[in-house]
Amino acid sequence: MKVNFFHLMPYPYLPDDFDDVEKYPSPSLTFSNAHFDPAIGVDLYHRYLDELEYAEAVGFDGIVVNEHHQSAYGTMPSPNIMAAALARRTSRATIMVLGNAIPLRGNPLRVAEEIAMLDHLTKGRLLSGFVRGIGWEHFGHSINPADSRTRFNEAHDLIKKAWTEPGPFSWYGEHYEYRYVNIWPRPLQQPHPPIAVPGAGSPETMRWVAANHYTYVSVYAPTKVVKTWFDGYRAAAADLGYVPEPEKIGMALPVFVGEDDASAHREARQYVEWLFHRGLRQGLEIVFPPGYMSPAAMKGLLKANLKAYPELSYEELLEHGYVVVGGPEQVRNRLGELRDELGFGQLMAMLTIGAMPADMVRRNTEIFAREVIPELKRAPVPVSS
Amino acid sequence: MTVTDAEPATPAVQRRKAGSGEIAYRRAGQGHPVLLLHSAGGANEWGPLQLGLVATGDLVAPDHPGFGLSDDLPEIHTVDDLVYHYLDLLDGLGLAQVDVVGLSFGGWVAAELAVHSPERVRRLVLGAAVGLRIPEAPVADLFLMNPPQLMRALFHDEALVTAALSAAPTTDQILATYRDLGALARFGWHPFLNDPKLERRLHRISAPTLVLAAGEDRLVPRAHAERYAARIPDAELRVVEDCGHALHGERPAEVTAAIVEHLGAEK
Repeated sequence: MKVNFFHLMPYPYLPDDFDDVEKYPSPSLTFSNAHFDPAIGVDLYHRYLDELEYAEAVGFDGIVVNEHHQSAYGTMPSPNIMAAALARRTSRATIMVLGNAIPLRGNPLRVAEEIAMLDHLTKGRLLSGFVRGIGWEHFGHSINPADSRTRFNEAHDLIKKAWTEPGPFSWYGEHYEYRYVNIWPRPLQQPHPPIAVPGAGSPETMRWVAANHYTYVSVYAPTKVVKTWFDGYRAAAADLGYVPEPEKIGMALPVFVGEDDASAHREARQYVEWLFHRGLRQGLEIVFPPGYMSPAAMKGLLKANLKAYPELSYEELLEHGYVVVGGPEQVRNRLGELRDELGFGQLMAMLTIGAMPADMVRRNTEIFAREVIPELKRAPVPVSS
Repeated sequence: MTVTDAEPATPAVQRRKAGSGEIAYRRAGQGHPVLLLHSAGGANEWGPLQLGLVATGDLVAPDHPGFGLSDDLPEIHTVDDLVYHYLDLLDGLGLAQVDVVGLSFGGWVAAELAVHSPERVRRLVLGAAVGLRIPEAPVADLFLMNPPQLMRALFHDEALVTAALSAAPTTDQILATYRDLGALARFGWHPFLNDPKLERRLHRISAPTLVLAAGEDRLVPRAHAERYAARIPDAELRVVEDCGHALHGERPAEVTAAIVEHLGAEK
């Protein structure tokens, strides 16, 4: 089991009346950046980077950054910049960029170049994730959601070819045309840095990730739904005659470990609620704009009939496996159960939950590293669940 | 318009090869041919407007690629592609010159078609049309609206909004709407429902043109109809009062009469 520390870098200082959902339908896209105070922002960035560096120091295998735009939910429009900031301040942990939202980029070669540079700066400690970008980010960057899937596929193919085939070569695609593709530097890891892609149940994505032997990662879903995703991924791999190693299946999960079970819930509740009720307050219209999903995928979503995140109570979030909170023993047991049921070999633990203050994050990280990681690493991950 | 017992049966949907698949269309009536280019929500519609056009002409009412009963035809990706798609359709049906009625999104396509091939268009109607780039009066972002917000933007009469929202849609209806809006996104996400070059080409349109504006349009500001009417050489602007963007969806008799009159007028 690989255990990684996943950061969203939220901007926690929302206005006092933020629970007025008519006034603030979401912390994303339309929530004015007049609410971003640069004097606070500067300290937040450095605090959050410190948290990632601390995670390496206490024994996490990887530290994870990601990309979001125009949102208080996550303040890393360029995850590559954060990875660069971490590259020479860390020496052991894998730096996971999870990931670059390649459909949003006008020029995917820039991603190929930056990841290749990061691979050298980290001396080969880099994992390169690729994501679609959330619906609201297609509004924010004026990228047609109806093109999102084909832009993702073509950008991926181009980036991978730029990493692996000698240049110069030319590229004539539906969305991109280059007369000269010849990136300097080439990546350090050969043939290229490992790739991870998050999925949310789309069968096309499962097949594609399996066919490429990439890592498949889940986020924010009930355990029973995540199980169908991971089973689907394993089935797609089996159809291709491939048995993915457990480390090719990752689960991103907010976790809080307190001194004991009762105090953990008392402490964590408000921050879990911040994440799901405020951070993830977003209408279907901005998450799945027209064209973003195929009608078949939309049908699957309607059929799953999941509650919107803000409608889930703290108790439901715990019960259905969206989050794990407890004392060391409870968290060890719960994560062990999830590992055995779901068969993931990468945990992306989100230990900075919502507006959680720095001292609490530090304690959460320290207790998690001391009390939980050794146990997770001791037991084997079932190869197939 | 009075809908009587003698009203003709809804003509069957026909299918016709186009590009990588097929499109669906209905055709009925006799007289001068009329090409009806539907709005984003108007695919596969058969109602008072269509009946009025059938009564006075040979109506051809296709669903755009990606909408209604037509296949996706993903190779048709821009409004420019749609212009060639409809020129191919007119050629295939042997229609040298048609009247073109375009509503909302279909109005944009109609204007582009008339700019491209003015000689193919005898009379033109643009109803609550998008297509122009007017930064100081942008079209509302309907992609950001939830269903109740969208209904309130389409209809002026609150009773119509209430009626439209009274019954929960079926899964099939939600999926059909998602597909139609996805097709609209394909053609109109960026630039947002406009072609920056269209305005300076409108002088090419030679057909007598009726520009219809909805008096209470909450999606397309009046400036768009005024700009179309000002730039198209032989254009008349007419405002349908107390009416939302849906035009014939809100005031079917008045809107149909205005269109039929324009197509039949001596000029």
